[in-house]
Amino acid sequence: MTNNSWKIARRSNAQLPLVIVLALAVVLVLLGKAQLGLFDRARMRITDWMAPALESVHAPIQAFNRWVSSADELLVVYRENLELKDENARLKQWRNVAVVMQDRVRHYQEMLHAVPDPDINSVLARVIGRASRPFLQTMILDAGESRAVKPGEAVVDARGMIGRIYLAGDHTSWVILLTDLNSRIPVTIASASGKAASLQAIMTGDNTAMPLLDTLQQVVTLHPGDQVVSSGDGGLLPPGLPIGTVVQDAGGYRVALLADPASSEDVEVLGFRKPAEAPPSASPNQLPAVAAGLPPAAPPQPAPVPGSAPAAPAKAVVTPLPQMPRPAGNISAQAQVPRANIPAAGGNE
Amino acid sequence: MGAKLLSALLPVTCGFLGVLFSNLPVTLFGGLVPPPMLGFIPVYFWCLVRPDLMPPSAAFAIGILQDVMSGGPPGIWTLSFVVSYAVIQRQRDAFAGLAGVAAVLGFATAMLIVCATAYFTTAAYYWHMAPLGPIVGELAISVLFYIPGAFVIGSLHRRLVGPLRSDF
Repeated sequence: MTNNSWKIARRSNAQLPLVIVLALAVVLVLLGKAQLGLFDRARMRITDWMAPALESVHAPIQAFNRWVSSADELLVVYRENLELKDENARLKQWRNVAVVMQDRVRHYQEMLHAVPDPDINSVLARVIGRASRPFLQTMILDAGESRAVKPGEAVVDARGMIGRIYLAGDHTSWVILLTDLNSRIPVTIASASGKAASLQAIMTGDNTAMPLLDTLQQVVTLHPGDQVVSSGDGGLLPPGLPIGTVVQDAGGYRVALLADPASSEDVEVLGFRKPAEAPPSASPNQLPAVAAGLPPAAPPQPAPVPGSAPAAPAKAVVTPLPQMPRPAGNISAQAQVPRANIPAAGGNE
Repeated sequence: MGAKLLSALLPVTCGFLGVLFSNLPVTLFGGLVPPPMLGFIPVYFWCLVRPDLMPPSAAFAIGILQDVMSGGPPGIWTLSFVVSYAVIQRQRDAFAGLAGVAAVLGFATAMLIVCATAYFTTAAYYWHMAPLGPIVGELAISVLFYIPGAFVIGSLHRRLVGPLRSDF
């Protein structure tokens, strides 16, 4: 570059002609399209190998990021403090409302003998790396298959859902963020006013900060502020995970995410498996005749054994309906209220 | 013999190191600034001055490492590197004759080919046009990093590699 002094070689001793290499590159793209996990094993090996180094550089990098982001915040700290005090007072009121609602939901569930929510195993993990590239937005966690983390599981922080596990190595895992091009999540949109019915939609990442909402209906009216939670369709993600709120955009509707992946430090990986639904077992009490209040048909009489006493006349016996088993533990109201926002009743502030 | 081997391996090694550095999963400034494409700087530089040490197969290998490390769809960066390599090779005299700001613009042109190829291949891959902002940011930051990058690589080239003897 400097002084135009480079001596330029006139010929190349390439082992492979350029055309062949170009063809190989095209084949690689097609192969990658057919088999998406082509490089996954190599990626996880490299990430597992780099994990100790990443953990050691994580603290200074994080401190630098915090310092950079706090530099401009110093100017508005007083005004922000007043706003936070105001917001805190309002949140305390909402907390009381939420505790009452939680209690009421628990009461209704007990009255209805509701089936308890399936157990969710969670694994706490630390973010040891982040990458924001033109076609991939991801973070790396310090938990992998050795701690039962599996691809597809939801990753949440205290505010809401961040993404899903994309690749899981032995000691690390990659998270695909909700904002990534490859992210598609089935969601439920609940009206903020509570007057309209909830809607189902697909939330699609497009590498911007706010993912798109693709509603299934042709014409739909959403309102800014409507709550977006995971719907649980497909059985991979638990239903009711808080994700964000609806905002209107020129091209449709988008979701302002509650969680901020750029600042999340400790996250939870939710291991959720929807239990397989067993078909109801048939019993005589569930026969239509019994349900209608009629005696069931008498079972066929066995042939009398010679020499034995005559059989007693057949008598219809109606047994009481079996009692549904009560749930063993507390029924969690996870599907109805955000997990992180509702502290236990009587908990300290 | 050892020095000759070192000089022969240096361009590809620099490419691999550039890929490793630029794909460290560490973001500064809250992820607002994309990482530069450091792996492409040695490809561009030695494709111009010593193509015998940076053959198409080396660009292919560096592209594969970029694909593995970046986590994107397989083959995207490999194809982009090789396509850009083909263009540079055909226009080598024009590119290598540039100096100063024009040399940076020459790299910007090559990087534009890389980014455009990656963008349109990804669009075809997902059948969806991604937003232009991140890839434009990647292009800008890579061009910015070419200035110190070319300085370092130029020093290495002068000390350890040198021009092809047959050219004198």
